[in-house]
Formats: sequence, C-alpha cells, structure tokens
Amino acid sequence: MSQQLPEVLASVFKKIPNLVFKEQTARRLRVELRPDALPALLELLKGRAGYLHLSAISCVDWPENDEFELVYHLWSYEIKTLVSAHIYIPKKPGRYISVYDIYTPAAFFERDIHEMFGVYFEGSPDMEPFILTEWSGPPPMLKSFSSLGYVEETFKWEQYSPDWLKEIEANGGSIVE
Amino acid sequence: MTKNIPIKSDPNTDIACRTPDMEERSLLRKVIDRIADRCRSRSLFILHYCTGCGAIELPPTITSRFDSERLGIQPMVTPRQADILLITGYLSIKTLKRVILTYEQMSAPKYVIGMGSCTINGGMYWHSYATIKRLQEYMPVDMYMAGCMPRPEAIQQGFLQLIDNIDKGKANAWKEYYYQYDKYLGNQQALFGPDWHTPTDVIAEARHYDLFSDNTIGEHTALLAKFASKYVTLQHKEIVK
Amino acid sequence: MRPENYQPVEHPSSEEYELYFGPNHPGIEGNYALKVRLTGDEIVGIKADGGYLHRGFEKIMEDRLWIQNVALVPRICVPDPPPMEETYARAVEMIGGLEVPERAQWIRAMILEMSRICGHLFILGGTAAPIGQYSNMFWGITDRDYFLDLFEALTGARVYHMFITPGGVRRDIPDGFLDRLTHILDYLEARLPEYDDLFFNNPVFQKRAEGIGAITQEQALDWGVTGPNVRACGLALDVRRDDPYLIYDKLEFDIPTETAGDVLARSLVRRSELIESIKILRQIVQRLPQIKGPIRCNLPNPLAWNLPKGDAYARTEAQKGELAFYAVSTGGAKPWRVHVRGPSSMHAVQVLEKLCLGGRIEDIALIMFSLDACPPEVDR
Repeated sequence: MSQQLPEVLASVFKKIPNLVFKEQTARRLRVELRPDALPALLELLKGRAGYLHLSAISCVDWPENDEFELVYHLWSYEIKTLVSAHIYIPKKPGRYISVYDIYTPAAFFERDIHEMFGVYFEGSPDMEPFILTEWSGPPPMLKSFSSLGYVEETFKWEQYSPDWLKEIEANGGSIVE
Repeated sequence: MTKNIPIKSDPNTDIACRTPDMEERSLLRKVIDRIADRCRSRSLFILHYCTGCGAIELPPTITSRFDSERLGIQPMVTPRQADILLITGYLSIKTLKRVILTYEQMSAPKYVIGMGSCTINGGMYWHSYATIKRLQEYMPVDMYMAGCMPRPEAIQQGFLQLIDNIDKGKANAWKEYYYQYDKYLGNQQALFGPDWHTPTDVIAEARHYDLFSDNTIGEHTALLAKFASKYVTLQHKEIVK
Repeated sequence: MRPENYQPVEHPSSEEYELYFGPNHPGIEGNYALKVRLTGDEIVGIKADGGYLHRGFEKIMEDRLWIQNVALVPRICVPDPPPMEETYARAVEMIGGLEVPERAQWIRAMILEMSRICGHLFILGGTAAPIGQYSNMFWGITDRDYFLDLFEALTGARVYHMFITPGGVRRDIPDGFLDRLTHILDYLEARLPEYDDLFFNNPVFQKRAEGIGAITQEQALDWGVTGPNVRACGLALDVRRDDPYLIYDKLEFDIPTETAGDVLARSLVRRSELIESIKILRQIVQRLPQIKGPIRCNLPNPLAWNLPKGDAYARTEAQKGELAFYAVSTGGAKPWRVHVRGPSSMHAVQVLEKLCLGGRIEDIALIMFSLDACPPEVDR
C-alpha cells in the first residue's frame, strides 16, 4: 500500500468478516466480501466513515461461473476515497436485498439492473420496468442474448446498388462480409 | 392509374377534399392548385418533437444564426397544425409508436423528413436491439438528409429542396400511406405485435378522400377487424379478399 | 375518426384526472414523459416514464473494439459530449496503465471547459423559454454557436467530436486557434452584463423562479444530487476539486455556491460557473504554448489491442453533474462490460418526481430545465 488507510476506514473493515481489500490507485479502493455482509458494510460506512454518496451500482454477468457480480461504488466527501464493494450472487435464484433504506439513489440502479439483467431486489420501492416498458424478450444485457442476432431476425436492411458496386460485381468481386 | 371522377354528387363530401385525377382537372382548378402549392411551400411548420440525438442541431437551425424563419419554417407544438414531421436521428421502438400516432393525427398534406443517417439504414446504432433501421418501412418519407448529424446549412438545403418539390407538386408521399396502408401496417405489426392498432380510421379516410387502392386493405388490415367498433370501419369484413 | 362515429367516452366522476405530460412537449427537455395526476392545477401524483431514447448503448459497446467505442460514446449525452469521451478514455487508460502526455491533458481540459460553457448557455436558454422569455434562448444558442465554430476548427465536427481517444487527443491545435479562442472569450465576457439585464436581474424571472423547486442540504446529500444543483444548496462539492483528474490541480478556480437551492439559485450558479470557466480557459490559453510534447502516448495497433484484465471507475465533473464510467476488461479486444452513470440518472427520475409533487403544473417545465435533467443520459 502506498498510503495509510484512514483510521476510520480501517476500523470499519475490521468489523466485517471475510473482507478482502486492495488499493488500486490513488483514491480508489477495491473491496470484496460475501453478499450477506454487504448491508452491514454499507451501514457502517455511511454511519461511521461519512460515505454519504452512492455513486452507482453496476452489475456484471459472468456466465462461466453462473453468477452476477454487483459492484457498489461509494464516495466520501471527507475522506475522498472511492470504495467499490464487489459481491457475487448466484444466477439462480438471482435475488438480492435492496439497500434503498440506506441509500436513496439505489432505487434507480436496482430498477435498471432488474430490467436489464433480471436480478430481483427485495425491498426496493419499484421493480416495474422503466426503460423497457414495451420489450417482450429476455433481459437484454445478459451475455446469452445477442443484439446482432436479434437485429438480423427482426429488421430488414436497405439494399444499395450504386454504380461503383455494380462495376465491382461485373468484374467478379463483392462486398466483404 | 386511371380513376373515374364520381358523377353523382354526395352531399357529405367536401369539394376541397376530393382529389380527382390530376390530368382531368379544369384549367381553373390547375391554376388554383398551383397557387396553393406555391403558398403552402413558403409557409411550413415543423412539429417540435425532438425524437433523437439529431435534435441538438435543430435549435441552431431555427434561431437567429441560421434562421429558418426566412424560409417560412418555424416550429409548432401540436401535430394538427404542423406540416412537416422531422425525424431527427434514430427512433427507438418505443418512440416509433408515438411517432406513428402523431403522423396519423397530422392533417394532409404532410411531409416526413428523415434527418440523419440512422433513418436511412440504422446509422451508428445498426446493431442495437432498440432502434429501427429503415424509416420508410413504417411511413412514407419525402426526403432524407444524410449526416451524423447534418449541419444547419445542410438541413436548410434539404428544406429548400423540399420547398422546391412541393412547389412543383412532386411531394405526394403522404398519399402513399393510404394507397399502401396494408404494407405499412404489416411492417408495424411485425414490430409491435398483431394487436397493434391506432385510433385513426385510415381505411375510412382513404375511402372518403378517394385515395383507396387495391393495396389499402389486405391480410394485415384484416387483423384490425377485431378492434372494429363504431369508431373503426365495420365494412371491412365484407371487402376482405 | 369520422365525425358521425364520434361518441364521448364515459369516465366515472372524480376530482383527479391523469395527464400524460408526454414525449411530444416543449416543456420537457428532450424526449421524455411524466404521468401526472392533477386536481385542477395542483399535482397530487407524478411518475416519470423514460425509455424513449433507449439505444442499448451498454450492450452495443460490448460488440465493438475498445477503439471503436470512441465513435459511439459521445452520443450518450447530446448537449455536452466531450466529458463522455474523456471519461471513457480515462477508464481505458486506468485499466491499461497508459500515461497521457501533458500537452494532451491541457488540450483535453480546454475542450471540457469549452463544452461546459456551451452546455450552460444552452440550458440557461432552456430555463427561460418555458416562462416565455424566448430572447434568452435565441441569444444563448447563437453565442454557443461561436464555440461550436471553434470546435469545428479544432476537431472537424460541431457537436460529436470523437477527438479524445484513449492515450491522448487525435490532433494538435491549429495555428491561430488560441487567438480566436481569446477573442470569443472576450466577446462572451462583454455579453454577460447584457444577459444580466435580460434575464438574471429581470424582476419577472426573479419573482417567478424564487422558491420553486427548493432542495435543502440534507435532501441534496440524501438523493444523490450532484453538479450545479448541489452547489446551489450551499455545498461546495465538485469532482474537479475532490477527485482531481487531468490538470485541474494546477489551475486556480473557485467553486461558486448559492444558499437557496431553488430555480433562481441554480441559474445563478450556472452563471457564476460561466465566469469560472472563462477564467480557467484564459489560464490554459496562457500556459498551453509553453507546454511542448507529444499529444498521444504510444498505442499498439488499435485493431488488435488487448487490454489487460481489470476494472476501473472514472469520474468527471460534466456540465450537468457527476459522470462516471465503470469499465471491465477480461483481457480481450472488446470490453466485457461498460456501465455509464449519467448525472441525470438521479435528477430526471427521483429528484424531479419529489420536487414536482405538491407543486403546480406550470412549474414542471421550469424545474426540469433548471435541474438540467437530460433524458439521453437516463435512457442510454
């Protein structure tokens, strides 16, 4: 570690079992922990260490391990270090607990992750689709859904036949696919 | 296509709405149509609906630097009073539904301009599951402007071309919607599902304004029959091929 | 519908009615809808409805090479594209361990500040238009156009520049560019008193905008409000100060704040930020000729470029608020996941709903424009 962790952060991390952290660059800290320990970590960070700002919740799909990775990015205006908390939840059942009661901005991200990935957050105020209200396919951000494949089946392309292409085709060539 | 001008006079038909065959108009009628086209082309209202990311070049075109108002073009908020529907950029599938509803609400003659490369062949988002690739499958388009996005000068050149087309009487793509309604409805249903219908009774309008052709009804419009009510044409069931 | 077929539809009588403050509306910034339930003119229920501008960015970014996404990324935010490019480039550089040369960093900062001025001029006009002061919109858009001319001289395009790539910028500045920039900055500074007379000191606007959509400090921190909106509540929070990137730690600038937190305060903060951006640009113009060096670090062949495994979270102060990109790489030529957190994700959905509830319908447009809630960032 190039610099000392602040006292208050070190004491918070000691309270959570099985927590692994490493410092990536200046002002960026990566934390990995078990899913059941995350709400406790968030409450401690907010209450003790002044982490008032939830910047984003990201979800990453890992099909080889059959799990989703949820990343909670938290920022403190006093300590000025970003803590990214990574947890891994299994794809079946694909449910997790909502942190809306700790951080209000979580509602938007949880709704977004629900419609894009299919993860259900229990306790979140609104799980209705926001963007994909007229979509009837699978959750589109999953790796098993191919956007290009969907486009090839659903839409037709404009057919071009300009003169320069006709010349090329007359000489035996064609467009490279 | 040859059509006979109806000889009997229908008391409910407005004289101005009937469109007889162009060559058989009287000379007075031709002169009035020419004046009307000339005046109409000099005063076009764009519907102020920013459908996609191309809308950022619309305020510079309309405001003082590039000033479209000297061409007679200004924004208008309601579809009923607008002439041009400017599709600025891409259309997501959710917006396309609202755009079709808006297009059917506009009163004829109306013109659709596809601005930006996304309306031509998908543009930058060609592999996106949420945007449409060809605008002319869903509604008839009068003019395309390529670019991502086109500069205000390019947009104004497109407007000038459209004004020229209207002036010469060549911008009649809105009639294609009535002549080919079955094909457009089929494409719309392929995207939105077989239950897609709009509150506008396009078939009855086509019949009323004498823009009915063999392609107006077909297998796709037959699916509208289950939504038939007092508000939608009921005679469809007798005329389905 | 034929007139003879028309029949009025029977609704049960009630005091409330539901109105779709729909996508085709001049009071909404962009293509966005709000479902509003009203009794008379007062709002008793409101729900935001987005998705009209959805392009599936995060999905299509996974199908393209790292360098091909540079063309796609500016289109996420329509009025203010450079911060998007810069944040994506920084996320890629953080994963790849690339070092951006100093001259490129100064040019990047110059582009970001010019874009901040453009965005503020655009949105100040937008705040004035719903209350009927259209001249301000015309002035703002025309003055912004002079900056777009500068962008065209520098990058080749007016709005979507695709100029900031991972590793640096694409080209060096042309001759005479800094003189042109100074000339436009002088012009804008001379124009600001005219904007004051027209808009900021206009008693009509002040009476109309005071007290509308007020946010307290606790609410701002609780709801995740960022950018000029939180600075209007009295909190001097700015990513350029708290989490410095590029060369902002070498520049001198203040963080203007107001205390009231309402529409008037937000507009005044944006006006002060115009002055701060002009100050920053003048410092850059003065120091840039002395900084020599390459404008791009050495990149491998971009078509066969595999970034190492890792992830990075890059944050920027965009014109609207805090912008962040989270990029994940598994060592391939294409990104595994790119998550975009736009500043309007909070402002256009939760904050807008909470502020409009209990207000009146004529204030919705004013609140939405003053929050600078930009729908393309919400829908991506």
